Amino acid sequence: MIASEKQIREFVGAHDRLHVRGLGSKPALHQVDAPILDMSALGGIVDYQPQEFTLTVRAGTPLREVIDALAEQGQYLPFDPLLPDSASIGGTVASNLSGSRRHRFGGARDFVLGAAVVDGAGQAYTVGGKVVKNAAGFDLAKFLVGSLGRYAILTELTVKVFPDVPQFRSLRFRYANLADALTASYAINSSHFDLDALDILPGADGAAVLARLGGFSDSLPARAERFRDFVAKTTAPQHIEGSKDELSLWDCVAGLGGACLAKVTLAPRQLLALDAAVDKAQRRYILAGNIAFVACEDADWLGDALAGLGLRGLLLRGGARSPLLGAPLENVLAARVKATLDPLGKLV
Amino acid sequence: MDRRFLSALGEIYPGNRLLTRDVELLPYESDALTAFQTKPGAVALPDNADEVIATVRLCHERGVPFVARGSGTSLSGGSLPIADGLTIALNRLNRIKHIDPQQRIAIVEPGVVNLHISQAAQPHGLYYAPDPSSQSICTIGGNIAFNSGGAHCLKYGMTSNHVLGMNVVLADGSLTEFGGESLDGCGIGPDLIGLFVGSEGLFGIALELTLRLLPLPELYRTVLAAFDDLGQAGDAVSAVVASGLLPGAIEIMDRLAIRAAETVGANYPDAEALLIVELEGEAQQVEAEFAQLRELIDRSGAFEIRTAQSEDERARIWKGRKSAFSAVGRLYPDYIVQDGVVPRSRLGEALLKIDASKRRYGLEVANVFHAGDGNLHPLILFDGREKGALHKAEALAGEILAMCVELGGSITGEHGVGVEKRDYMPAMFSETELDVMLALRKAIDPREIANRGKMFPGGEAPALTMQGMHPLERQGVISRE
Ligand SMILES: Cc1cc2nc3c(=O)[nH]c(=O)nc-3n(C[C@H](O)[C@H](O)[C@H](O)COP(=O)(O)OP(=O)(O)OC[C@H]3O[C@@H](n4cnc5c(N)ncnc54)[C@H](O)[C@@H]3O)c2cc1C
Repeated sequence: MIASEKQIREFVGAHDRLHVRGLGSKPALHQVDAPILDMSALGGIVDYQPQEFTLTVRAGTPLREVIDALAEQGQYLPFDPLLPDSASIGGTVASNLSGSRRHRFGGARDFVLGAAVVDGAGQAYTVGGKVVKNAAGFDLAKFLVGSLGRYAILTELTVKVFPDVPQFRSLRFRYANLADALTASYAINSSHFDLDALDILPGADGAAVLARLGGFSDSLPARAERFRDFVAKTTAPQHIEGSKDELSLWDCVAGLGGACLAKVTLAPRQLLALDAAVDKAQRRYILAGNIAFVACEDADWLGDALAGLGLRGLLLRGGARSPLLGAPLENVLAARVKATLDPLGKLV
Repeated sequence: MDRRFLSALGEIYPGNRLLTRDVELLPYESDALTAFQTKPGAVALPDNADEVIATVRLCHERGVPFVARGSGTSLSGGSLPIADGLTIALNRLNRIKHIDPQQRIAIVEPGVVNLHISQAAQPHGLYYAPDPSSQSICTIGGNIAFNSGGAHCLKYGMTSNHVLGMNVVLADGSLTEFGGESLDGCGIGPDLIGLFVGSEGLFGIALELTLRLLPLPELYRTVLAAFDDLGQAGDAVSAVVASGLLPGAIEIMDRLAIRAAETVGANYPDAEALLIVELEGEAQQVEAEFAQLRELIDRSGAFEIRTAQSEDERARIWKGRKSAFSAVGRLYPDYIVQDGVVPRSRLGEALLKIDASKRRYGLEVANVFHAGDGNLHPLILFDGREKGALHKAEALAGEILAMCVELGGSITGEHGVGVEKRDYMPAMFSETELDVMLALRKAIDPREIANRGKMFPGGEAPALTMQGMHPLERQGVISRE
């Protein structure tokens, strides 16, 4: 078992090719023919300063452990990591996967302050900083968000955390079709309501917008009332429904069954075209239509559909030629970073 | 400057958009860190991205170093020219190409002035959040280079957190784009935006930016609290943070900064320290939070508490804070604006140390800071006409930076390294870390022509001269407020 930075450096030194895996909650990312560097034993919170809004944690730490430690202090990870019960924090950051609550304050890139890494040459060093604000040097910590372990191995992360709110209200607004739901989402998303989450759910007959407000008990009921009135007036939904058991609504991939599951990054103006192309799949749009989760039986089919629209996807579950679906990701700047951090191309 | 290079440039820039005469170059000799001055070989004034690309390619081919320049308000010498190099002034690339209120984005050229974006977005009920005090003159290109922040970056982040897509010409002339119109930014694959933002012009020139806009908050509630003691103001910050509130801004000013603010008619209470806390968001939520905040402030030992009752009163509270730098400049012949970060809980300790250091040097220091994120801005005051005064001020500045690192913070929160802090980089980064950054720079810019001489320690030191006004200010071209 790899349980120290030193062992990681030795592992890198001993192999020509290797692939990093956290807790393996996204199996599609690990269909590689290379020795696996298993990070699951490199866990534990290193330092947590609630007053500073900062947390330093080893990359293999299960998200649940982090989330629980923060909750004890009334704080949370605002980027709302996906798969909180099965993923590690390192894997989540390396694959840039957030859930619906990322709507309020941003994604992993917005909350990663610094990291300790081992690069492809086996060198260990830190990137970024440990305070909430830092403008010195190149921000390689941000670069590594979404980098899938192909540029350097994250061994430790320092993230910014925020105070959480104690209460939530969720409302579901139904529309005749997806176009109407998207129009409603536009109106809601540029209004001054501070929403915790804003998802769009296509359905067999019509579509729904699912919104969540978070706040303090003294003002939340009145805010929810006012929000409901605003949406009713400006977007004319066919039906409005509040939910008692609102927490269960916000596991944004829970209802998406099927052999394959992928994240797709899109601009909302591409949403209707994407939805038409993948309408035989199950899908849910989070972040006001800026991220899609799509579940289907055939990842190659999905990849072709995305490529046709110039979109990119990341496969989390299911088999495919590569977990990177759709439009190619090659980029000259990324290639220069690769040549610097992993000159021998060990990290795959 | 090499004649053949100049004549090749002349083909890209017909008419009077290539400046080579001494009088024309004068306004470009320094940025807002006027202690450093260098005459550029020439200044090019491109009108569009194609001209920028052609210029960068020519520079690469001939090995001529270049500096991109926005409005020249850098406080770290970031846009200081390179002797015999080319300054590429981007102010004419100032088109806001598109505002999409539905997707909440703006697509802009790099020479657009920060505040103009919010002004263009305002009719749609939107704004561009990062608000450096220089926002009425500084450009988005400069903001990108330094990952600039402002008083309101506690909740919604700095420049980097608001860029969704970029088109860039790298220093070797290659073109690339990353991110796009999605609020997910780069989304899939490494976060190239995060890497480029804050790279201080060392990778290349940003040609087009897609920015995230936010809905204008429905309500602001602003409170100003006056204290007899700086430590009490610091404790109040801790109490606010511990309460679970997340204000949009938490700022502190000390006595000297307060006094300076009087010159712009701030009309602040006569105090040792002032704390400004601002909540923003949905009206009902803000009102509820404000009641909680007032309770905390009431118990904080403040001798006077003012709450803004109107947009006018709010603007007045901020005016003093936002013009503090320039106001201090009016009280003293010269000053250095420092920028360092300490962990928020160690602010009190940091201030005591600054106090002890300044006594030892026999210099005055005014303190203005973004207390919410531990970002200090000590203004070190001196009279440049006195022999050795500048060097003494610089030594004090260095001591303050060393302290920031020692307390676990950073040598810069938002002004960047530039030329000013090159030599402090080793205090913050190990040899390996610096080597990796330098190797990265060379992989992207093999001839090291983009903003040569910045960020990395060593290299020939540009001449240190007297402090004073920015050359453009001296000529009355720009002013600060
Ligand atoms: C009175 C005053 C108040 C200030 N307040 C703040 C504050 O509150 N917060 C803060 O963060 N800063 C502040 N600053 C510092 C300064 O305004 C910022 O650093 C600003 O972002 C610089 O913008 P500029 O257009 O003047 O850039 P310049 O000074 O012209 O250039 C800055 C850097 O950007 C690079 N650059 C410019 N354009 C591009 C481009 N298109 N692509 C790549 N690189 C480029 C330059 O090469 C240079 O390295 C203040 C400065 C002054 C004078």
